[in-house]
Amino acid sequence: MAAPCPPPPPDPQFVLRGTQSPVHALHFWEGAQAQGHPVLFSGQGRDLKLCLWDLAEGRNAVVDSVRLESVGFCRSSILAGGQPRWMLAVPGKGGDEVQILEMPSKTSVCALKPKADAKLGMPMCLRLWQADCNPRPLLLAGYEDGSVALWDVSEQKVCSHIACHEEPVMDLDFDSQKARGISGSAGKALAVWSLDGQQALQVRGTHELTNPGIAEITIRPDRKILATAGWDHRIRVFHWRTMQPLAVLAFHSAAVQCVAFAADGLLAAGSKDQRISLWSLYPRA
Amino acid sequence: MAVFDTPEEAFGVLRPVCVQLTKTQTVENVEHLQTRLQAVSDSALQELQQYILFPLRFTLKTPGPKRERLIQSVVECLTFVLSSTCVKEQELLQELFSELSACLYSPSSQKPAAVSEELKLAVIQGLSTLMHSAYGDIILTFYEPSILPRLGFAISLLLGLAEQEKSKQIKIAALKCLQVLLLQCDCQDHPRSLDELEQKQLGDLFASFLPGISTALTRVITGDFKQGHSIVVSSLKIFYKTVSFIMADEQLKRISKVQAKPAVEHRVAELMVHREADWVKNTGDKLTILIKKIIDCVSVHPHWKVRLELVELVEDLLLKCSQSLVECAGPLLKALVGLVNDESSEVQAQCNKVLRHFADQRVVVGSKALADILSESLHSLATSLPRLMNSQDDQGKFSTLSLLLGYLKLLGPKINFVLNSLAHLQRLSKALIQVLELDVADIKIVEERRWNSDDLNASPKTSATQPWNHIQRRYFHFFTDERIFMLLRQVCQLLGYYGNLYLLVDHFMELYRQSVVYRKQAAMILNELVTGAAGLEVENLHEKHIKTNPEELREIVTSILEEYTSQENWYLVTYLETEEMGEELMMEHPGLQAITSGEHTCQVTSFLAFSKPSPTICSMNSNIWQICIQLEGIGQFAYALGKDFCLLLMSVLYPVMEKAGDQTLLISQVATSTMMNICHACGYNSLQHLINQNSDYLVNGISLNLRHLSLHPHTPKVLEVMLRNSDANLLPLVADVVQDVLATLDQFYDKRAASFVSVLHALMAALAQWFPDTGNLGHLQEQSLGEEGSHLNQRPATLEKSTTTAEDIEQFLLNYLKEKDVADGNVSDFDNEEEEQSVFPKVDENDTHPDVEPPLPLQIQIAMDVMERCIHLLSDKNLQIRLKGKLEHFLI
Repeated sequence: MAAPCPPPPPDPQFVLRGTQSPVHALHFWEGAQAQGHPVLFSGQGRDLKLCLWDLAEGRNAVVDSVRLESVGFCRSSILAGGQPRWMLAVPGKGGDEVQILEMPSKTSVCALKPKADAKLGMPMCLRLWQADCNPRPLLLAGYEDGSVALWDVSEQKVCSHIACHEEPVMDLDFDSQKARGISGSAGKALAVWSLDGQQALQVRGTHELTNPGIAEITIRPDRKILATAGWDHRIRVFHWRTMQPLAVLAFHSAAVQCVAFAADGLLAAGSKDQRISLWSLYPRA
Repeated sequence: MAVFDTPEEAFGVLRPVCVQLTKTQTVENVEHLQTRLQAVSDSALQELQQYILFPLRFTLKTPGPKRERLIQSVVECLTFVLSSTCVKEQELLQELFSELSACLYSPSSQKPAAVSEELKLAVIQGLSTLMHSAYGDIILTFYEPSILPRLGFAISLLLGLAEQEKSKQIKIAALKCLQVLLLQCDCQDHPRSLDELEQKQLGDLFASFLPGISTALTRVITGDFKQGHSIVVSSLKIFYKTVSFIMADEQLKRISKVQAKPAVEHRVAELMVHREADWVKNTGDKLTILIKKIIDCVSVHPHWKVRLELVELVEDLLLKCSQSLVECAGPLLKALVGLVNDESSEVQAQCNKVLRHFADQRVVVGSKALADILSESLHSLATSLPRLMNSQDDQGKFSTLSLLLGYLKLLGPKINFVLNSLAHLQRLSKALIQVLELDVADIKIVEERRWNSDDLNASPKTSATQPWNHIQRRYFHFFTDERIFMLLRQVCQLLGYYGNLYLLVDHFMELYRQSVVYRKQAAMILNELVTGAAGLEVENLHEKHIKTNPEELREIVTSILEEYTSQENWYLVTYLETEEMGEELMMEHPGLQAITSGEHTCQVTSFLAFSKPSPTICSMNSNIWQICIQLEGIGQFAYALGKDFCLLLMSVLYPVMEKAGDQTLLISQVATSTMMNICHACGYNSLQHLINQNSDYLVNGISLNLRHLSLHPHTPKVLEVMLRNSDANLLPLVADVVQDVLATLDQFYDKRAASFVSVLHALMAALAQWFPDTGNLGHLQEQSLGEEGSHLNQRPATLEKSTTTAEDIEQFLLNYLKEKDVADGNVSDFDNEEEEQSVFPKVDENDTHPDVEPPLPLQIQIAMDVMERCIHLLSDKNLQIRLKGKLEHFLI
């Protein structure tokens, strides 16, 4: 009683309601700067389709769709970089393949199939990226068995492969400048790993969580902090370099399924409870 | 009935009478002549003018004592002749003038001769007629220096009559005649305007009489009110016309340094005045004394026409003599400014016209001298204002404030010179704050409660025409006259309009924060400042003044609103919390103390009702007023910003609705009218529209605040108000937030159940209203709801059951819950089975997924969730909660 109470836990800046269904994916679209692709990729549904949506205000029309060959939890990944042609990675057929498509023609570039004896399981998350010095596209994929693999897309081979989780990898994010990445799984740990000059992945450390289950990990565009969407209804914020926990944001009443950062630092989290909460991580003093 | 048209005929008729009169001068003969004259045409008379005048003048000139009656009839006859003819010769004019004036001459004394009133009147009229009959330029040649002694005699005679006579008729006639003599006659016979030289000559001539005329008229004007207003009005008119003619800046600036030698005899030359600088200075000083006297007396004259004439006086003198009478400008303006709020609308209108005229002519703003004088007056008024507000009675306060208002109007944007001086701003604000102190002793305000059953729409509506202007009647410590309050509001609005708004708002915000003693007054002033700044009610006398730009105004309003709705200024104790929340508060203290301590003592006491002496009635009344003033302020801001206010709704609507749900009647009423104002300003056509359109913001606020219920104990009220004032369109959002409410209730069963029960009650009532038993669902938009609409038809059955007794329902519910447990907690399964099989087995027909059972309609789902909670409350130890819990079941 004598000790002063800590300030009340933070509240979201605002809550968007009325979606009337669980929120699975969120993306801030900086419309003003990037005029190129006024489209949104919806997560692949059970109908085996990946849809491209028109994002102009008030629209909800599907512009195009890509036929998929498998049903899974995996989200696709795009590598755009401003060219008219861009690359899309989607889970492929057979349960363990990753298919690379060239868009917008939808022609298949290649299929990345792990070696038969690897037993990686289904790809759970994909991240296409391109190193600054090297124009060759690379793909980071997290697999059902808890491992992360680095693929060289043009040579269609695994450069490096590490096992970092005991549970399936649910999501990963990669900081290409620091050559460091982080992955979260259905288990209680976050794994930080790095990529050396020989394109070999190395586990740098793991971070224990109170409750298991991470649905999405996003590093903020300025690479200072990262946020995780937890099945425990909470959003966790960490310092990216030190992995020091900074905040636990509790608001949702069901599993948080996605987190996204806006360019101005606003954080959005979508949850199974049908709400999207917006957080200002640097509120006014 | 001119019988004799030609001079010959007329001559024939008149000759014997004239001869007769010349021989024997009797009243009868004069009357005889006059009777004959009536039958002669004007043209004939003109021809015979000299001839007819001769016997009459002869009669007057005959030496020796004469009977008054005879003189009178001769003068009357003379007047008759003059009224029908013209005097074409200057000599005749002068002679007749002297002869007529001499009739009232008494050699023994300075005063007019002691003759009968009739004779005096006749002579006055004679003189007046004579001057009117002067033909063309004759009249101007009459006013030459040599006439000075005779004219002076006549003028002093007339002044004496006007001042000393008892008869009102004579007084008025004398004043009229004076007007004629001074060429101020407003009749049609003098249409010619004078050129500059003529003006100067006349001015030189009249200047000799100025001391006499001004002092005598001042005595008349400042005389007894009972002498009748027309005398004062005429005197005022002559006074200012004479002064403004002789002292006109236009004329004076052309006066040469050296006096030209007048071509008259020495004796007359001595009487002449040369209007050079020294003379102007001396005369100006003396006139200032007289003018001040007149203003003091006339500005409080009971008759409005007199005050109206004063306005004319001010206008004339200020426009024509602003240089020569520079010393008077202050008092003159003060008089004018003081009449701006005169009780007579004519005077007000004229005053405003004159002020506008001044503004248009840039008299005030353009001429440095006047603007300086005004500034000085405002400075000195600001200095003495606190003292005046303290010591004066209502009438005194009224005129002082009128004066202040007038200065503000006249100075316009220049008031900033005064406001920029911190000392003056402080004095001004101190005076305003002091005089606006509210009387907070009324216990009724604290007592009166809003009952839950009241719909907001049932509370008194504001007038549709000027909703913003509708404010609660309040009671002030230092005055009772409502007009004073209106004046104060206008003063503040003008300050806001012309003053530097940032400076003023800053200053009053400072006072607002400084002490709880100033807070209410400062808030009232801030409200009016903003209203004024929007410039919607202010009549602008200064065309070039640019209003505060809307962007800035919105910023200012935003900052004020932040202050108003901040924790320590919005959540004040307005009733004894022991009434229903006592226990809860006790438990919540530790947390609150930590957050609020040190901030504002008044707020801490509000929460610490137990550790400190409970708030007095006065402090609660004061708090209620503060909230009301702030609420009214929000309404006024909305009015001031118009559509721009929409941008602020997100932060403002929630706190206002919180107050709309307040227990205290006054607060609730004021909050409701504030919401009406917001509707008006932002273009919503009803409260319902307002709430529906902004429900997402409101729901967000509710949901977030529910998370910290101890900090925001009034959160459920907002939802309650929303529910009471909205319709079924709100349902999807409500459903969302009701989940939060119920979750919070689950946390606080023991502490805050009462406030939750009442919101749940409102929810049930709203559901019952939105989804009437008839199943008429035409207004439902949502597909999902429409699809499920048929479910509603089962409600009458439930209702029938529930209208029996509370015990029945309780039993029913208990059974229901038991079965629910058995059914593995799957509520919808259970319900659907029962209802669809018994009532509507075909509901699933068009459903695309026959295997998936349709969810319950949202409203029924909500109702069931609520009942589930209430069932526990039925056994609460607090009677009130128990009763409310039961009430809800009745509703269902």
